[in-house]
Amino acid sequence: MTAVSTHLNFFQTKKGIFSWIFSVDHKRIALLYFYSLITFFLVGVTLGLLMRYELLNPGKDLVEAKTYNQIFTMHGVIMIFLFIIPSIPAVFGNFFLPIMLGTDDVSFPRLNLLSWWIYVIGALMALSTLLFGDGPADTGWTFYAPYSVKTGTNVTMSVLAAFVIGFSSILTGLNFIVTIHRLRTPGMTFLKMPLFAWSLYATSWIQLLATPIIGITLLMIVAERVLGVGLFDPSIGGDPILYQHLFWIYSHPAVYIMALPAFGVISEMLPTFSQRTIFGYKAIAFSSLAIAFVGYFIWGHHMFTSGMSGTARFVFSMLTFLVAIPTAIKVFNWVATLYKGSINVQPPLLYTLAFIFQFMIGGFTGLVLGALATDIHLHDTYFVVGHFHYVMFGGTGFAFFGALHYWYPKIWGKMYNIKVANVAFVIFFIGFNMLYFPMLIAGLMGMPRRYYDYLPEFHLPNMISTYGSWVLAVGLILMLSNLVAGLLKKNQNVGRNPWNGITLEWQTLSPPPLENFDRMPEIPLNGPYDFEHKPEIKD
Amino acid sequence: MKQNKDHSEEGTAHISSFRDHWSTLVTLLLLTIVTVVISVFGANLAALSVATALLIATVKVIVVAYYFMHLKYEKKIYTWLILLVVVLFAAFTILTALEYYNR
Repeated sequence: MTAVSTHLNFFQTKKGIFSWIFSVDHKRIALLYFYSLITFFLVGVTLGLLMRYELLNPGKDLVEAKTYNQIFTMHGVIMIFLFIIPSIPAVFGNFFLPIMLGTDDVSFPRLNLLSWWIYVIGALMALSTLLFGDGPADTGWTFYAPYSVKTGTNVTMSVLAAFVIGFSSILTGLNFIVTIHRLRTPGMTFLKMPLFAWSLYATSWIQLLATPIIGITLLMIVAERVLGVGLFDPSIGGDPILYQHLFWIYSHPAVYIMALPAFGVISEMLPTFSQRTIFGYKAIAFSSLAIAFVGYFIWGHHMFTSGMSGTARFVFSMLTFLVAIPTAIKVFNWVATLYKGSINVQPPLLYTLAFIFQFMIGGFTGLVLGALATDIHLHDTYFVVGHFHYVMFGGTGFAFFGALHYWYPKIWGKMYNIKVANVAFVIFFIGFNMLYFPMLIAGLMGMPRRYYDYLPEFHLPNMISTYGSWVLAVGLILMLSNLVAGLLKKNQNVGRNPWNGITLEWQTLSPPPLENFDRMPEIPLNGPYDFEHKPEIKD
Repeated sequence: MKQNKDHSEEGTAHISSFRDHWSTLVTLLLLTIVTVVISVFGANLAALSVATALLIATVKVIVVAYYFMHLKYEKKIYTWLILLVVVLFAAFTILTALEYYNR
């Protein structure tokens, strides 16, 4: 490792818009993703708030049924393909993976930039559906056939957008796998890698191997719509259940593309704010691989009521329960990490604890849905919507915002107001649970999902849920305002290691220099969380 | 900082011989000719015709991966990773077929 020539941070090296949108620096690309993702996230949140407003009272409040269908489809497509799938890997993975491995960039920097451009092009294609023809797709984000083959809305452009965005995901996964194999700093063996890197490794394999399946499946939808080839539409000889198989062969593993990086983030924040070695390092690392592997075999639990065979339903239900084992291993180890730690309650830890609590609710309700008998009752009810949002928003979403609070001083070299961040967290947390817990109740009562109207007996949970969405919005606005206000502060010096962390990113400057390190990073003696032999970090 | 140029424990540098490349190319061309002959000139394989075509294609894939893509000279882990993909593909096919044939 040679000494670098400059102490200028990566914001200072070059100026101008082109130095950003054509940058091959992994940190700048990470921030390009961040600003894009947050934009789409806010669009998705707005659509979600509109849906909740429509559901405040029975009957029409705001929009017609078809518009409601289009809104929830756009909400799903934007939140899943443009926010939650790329979220943690594209932003924090891109920024911190090379630094945590002690290297200067990912293996293929130009491919990394191309991935962002592909993402943007795909996003623009998705948004273009608002502007022509019959408007955006009204199929739900699953594009289930045969309806998606027949509807007059812009399904073709929507699925092509998802197809294009898929390439961004594949290329990022490929880049991370090669980076982890080839660019670890000398001395950093696989078992000395931080757990965030392990989680990205497992995630990348899913991105690389599963995403092509959805790509081809979506092209088959286009072929069916344009050429009428009879793949999925039973009226021309197709099999609609085949579509569901192909869709969920990708989309169930995709749940782990969304969740595994969150597990990695949590595994980073817990040791830092407990000031102790993570409990069960190997168990957490290998359980990521186990989740990625088992996750490939359980897609059928999304199809229990589709009309597929009884034998397959039994097999898929049984396999589904297997994935709970490595997930539970992680949770037990996280909780054990806190035990007898020197706990320092800061905003990132609050998000971490909320993650564990909410992810547990999401996980347990997942088991209820994975059990064949109960799923028959609950399928396509609001219970599923509540479960999914507890996993994806209460889990990955909270991990994303926790990571943002955690790495904020490292990325920007500034600090937000801690007290305001704590208050924003409390409002956000209350709003979240007010918004989604009543959905579980409404689902148990039998309220079906994907309707713009409902029977009067479902009014109370829906009312609480809509009020919760407003509380959540207040918390979100306060949180983001606080983070933006932190960026506007001048002449701050947060130092290299404001949280007293131990992984390599805390050894470099905040913000990091262009080539990541101004001096040789020191790898802790006994693995990445060896707080007993923590290298001394001087500013 | 360019510290990882010598991070070479993952694999060894290897330059394939000209002869290896030509042998691979000739093998692939021969197998392509065999595929065409079987399908066009109607070797009467009935239900086995698809299986035969897949078998030949599989052999071609192995040859390409092994020589053109240098799998032969890489660490064994990369062979295992490719086999993992084959296992996953087989699992997708078997589970879907299990569902279809039991409807």
